[in-house]
Amino acid sequence: MTKWGMVIDLEKCTGCQACTTACAMENSRLPGESWQDVLFYHEGTYPNVKLSWLPRPCMQCENPSCVAVCPTKATYKTEDGVVLVDWDKCIGCKYCMIACPYGVRFYMDEKPVVQPDLREVFPGDGDRIWNPPYKMPDHLEDRKKGIGIQPKGVVSKCTFCYHKISKAPKGVADLDEDDPQTREYVPACVRVCPPKARYFGDLDNPNSRVNQLIADKRGVRLKEETGNKPQVYYLAGGGAPVIPGERSRGRG
Amino acid sequence: MATATTLRAAFKPSPYLIGSAVLFVLAFVYAIYLEVTLGHVAFNTTNYGVFWGFPIVAYDYFLLTSTGLALVASLPLAVGIRSWDPVAKRCVWLAIAALVGGVAILFLELPHPLRALWATPINLQTASPLFWKILCVGAYTIVLALLAYAFGAGRGPAEVPRILAVVLGLLALAITLIAGSVYGMLVFRPFWFGSELPVVFLIESFMGGIAFFIFFTYAVHGFVADNLSENTRRLLAGPLGIAAATAVFLHLLFVLTRTVTGLWSYGEGMEVWRYTIAQPLYWLALIGGGLVPLVVFALPSLRAQPWLQMIGAFLVALGLLASRYEFMINGQLVPPFKGSWAPPLLEYAPSQLEWVLLFVGIFLANTIYAALESWSSTRER
Repeated sequence: MTKWGMVIDLEKCTGCQACTTACAMENSRLPGESWQDVLFYHEGTYPNVKLSWLPRPCMQCENPSCVAVCPTKATYKTEDGVVLVDWDKCIGCKYCMIACPYGVRFYMDEKPVVQPDLREVFPGDGDRIWNPPYKMPDHLEDRKKGIGIQPKGVVSKCTFCYHKISKAPKGVADLDEDDPQTREYVPACVRVCPPKARYFGDLDNPNSRVNQLIADKRGVRLKEETGNKPQVYYLAGGGAPVIPGERSRGRG
Repeated sequence: MATATTLRAAFKPSPYLIGSAVLFVLAFVYAIYLEVTLGHVAFNTTNYGVFWGFPIVAYDYFLLTSTGLALVASLPLAVGIRSWDPVAKRCVWLAIAALVGGVAILFLELPHPLRALWATPINLQTASPLFWKILCVGAYTIVLALLAYAFGAGRGPAEVPRILAVVLGLLALAITLIAGSVYGMLVFRPFWFGSELPVVFLIESFMGGIAFFIFFTYAVHGFVADNLSENTRRLLAGPLGIAAATAVFLHLLFVLTRTVTGLWSYGEGMEVWRYTIAQPLYWLALIGGGLVPLVVFALPSLRAQPWLQMIGAFLVALGLLASRYEFMINGQLVPPFKGSWAPPLLEYAPSQLEWVLLFVGIFLANTIYAALESWSSTRER
C-alpha cells in the first residue's frame, strides 16, 4: 500500500516562500494562514546573528494525535497515509489544534492576520468563508476531504494536495515535477520549489527517491519524542539540529 | 389536571428568580447581537496558539462545579450518610443549574453545537477523551433529570432509588477525571502534561461543589444564619466545613508543588511559569481564593461564623475561576512552532463577548436554580 511522504532538503532550501505562495493559490488560503509556511529563526545578537529557516507543511503523521483526539472522527487518515478533515463532521471544537505538536491546523474565522480583511473584500457565498479570485475549479472541491475553500466554523490543514496525488498512477514510486508522466500529480509546494529542495514519493516503496534520500542523507523527523511519527523528513546535513530551541535562542 | 393547575397557581416566582431571568435575557440578547454582527472575530482566540479562550474556561468551570456538587449529593443519596440529607436536594438543583449554565456557554462558543450532538455518538472515536466526556455528560444530564423528577414527586433523599445516586456519582467522577485527562494527556504541552491532573481536577471539583453549596445555602435563607435548620448549621460548621478545608488544602498543595516544579524545570514551554507567578491574578487566586478560605474553614472558631463561611465559600468559587483561567490560558501562551516572528509568549485577554458569555452562564444558572428552588418549595407546600 502506498504511504505518501515528503523529504525537504534544508541544505538546498533558500527560504524563498515559493512553496507558501503556491500552497495559498492552490488551496485558497488567506494571507498569513497558509497551510505550508516557512518559519524563520534567529540566534544570537548583532553582529553575531545566525538566521535559519524551516519549511513546515503538515507532517501527515503516521500516528497522528489530531486524529486520536477528534471526538467526531472528522479528522481521519486515508489508506495512503494522508491526514484529512471531513468538514461536514467537524464541530469546530479545536481540540485537534490543541493536540497538534506542529501548529499546522487553522481555524479561518479568527481575526484577520493582515489588513484589509480579504473575507470582507471577497465575501463568500453559501457557507464558504470567502470567495478568492484565485480559487481552484469547483469540481475539485471535496468537503469530505477538506479540499477547497474552507467553510465557516471548521478546522483545516494541508492535504498534501490530495486532489492531485490521489489521481496519480497506482504503484508509482515518486511524484516528480521533472517527470512528464507524474508532473500533474505533484503537490503544489513540491512542484514550484526553485532549488528542488522538496521530494515527494512512496515511503513504503524501497526504491523510491524519498527513501533513498532518507537513508543516504540521514533524514530526520521533528519532535520524535511525541511518538507522532511524521511522514515529512528533513535533510539537515546530519550535524546541526533542524530547528534551534527557545533556550538556545535566549528566549526561554 | 387539577393538581397541575393548583401548582401553577401556587407557584410564585421569587424576586431572585425574576432578577436572574431578566439579567440572563439581557446578557443572552447582547451575546447573540455580538455574535451575529461581528462573527467569530468577536472572540480573542488566534491561530498562533490560544485556541481555547475564556468561554472554554467558564464552561469547564461550570461543568466541574456541577460534577463536584453531584459528588457531594451522591454521599447521602448513594452511601446513605443520613446526616448529610439536607445537602442532597440543594446539591442536585445546583448541579443542574451549573450544568445548564456551562453547556449554554459551550453551545454559544462552538460553531456547530448541534452537529456535535449527532456526530459524536455515531462516529465512536473511543481514542478521544472528548468523545467520552460528551457521552458521559449526556448520560449525566439524564440522571440529573431523573433525580429532579424523583425529588419533584415528593421523595426525600432516603427514598430516592440508590442505583440512580450511584450512577450519578460514578458519572460525575468519570466526567471530572476525563476533563483532567483532556489536558493531562498532551505530552508536548508540558504546562498541562501530567498524570496527576485528573486527580487535581477531582479535588478542585469537589472543592467548588462544597463552596457553592455553602454559599447558596446561606443565600436562599436570606444570608441569615438563624433561618437555617439546626441540622444544616451543624453540618456546615462541622463535616462540610472540614471537607472544604481539606479540599482547599489539597488544591493549594497541588498549585504550589506544580509552581515550584515548573519553575525548576528546564523543559521548553515551562518558561510560562515565570510569567504566571508575575501575574497578580496568580497571587490573588492563591491567597484570596486559597489561603484565606483555608484559614476560615480550618479553624473551628471561624468555621462557626456564618458570615465568614459565606465569604470563604465565595472566595473559593472566585479563586477557582481564576485558577482555572490561569491553567487553561497560560498553558497555550507559548506558541507551538511559529518561529522567531511570533512572540515568545502570546498575549490574551478575554474580549467583550467572552465576558458576556460568562455572565450568560452565571445568570442562566441562577435562573434555573431559583426556578428549581421555587418549584420544589411549591411542591412541598
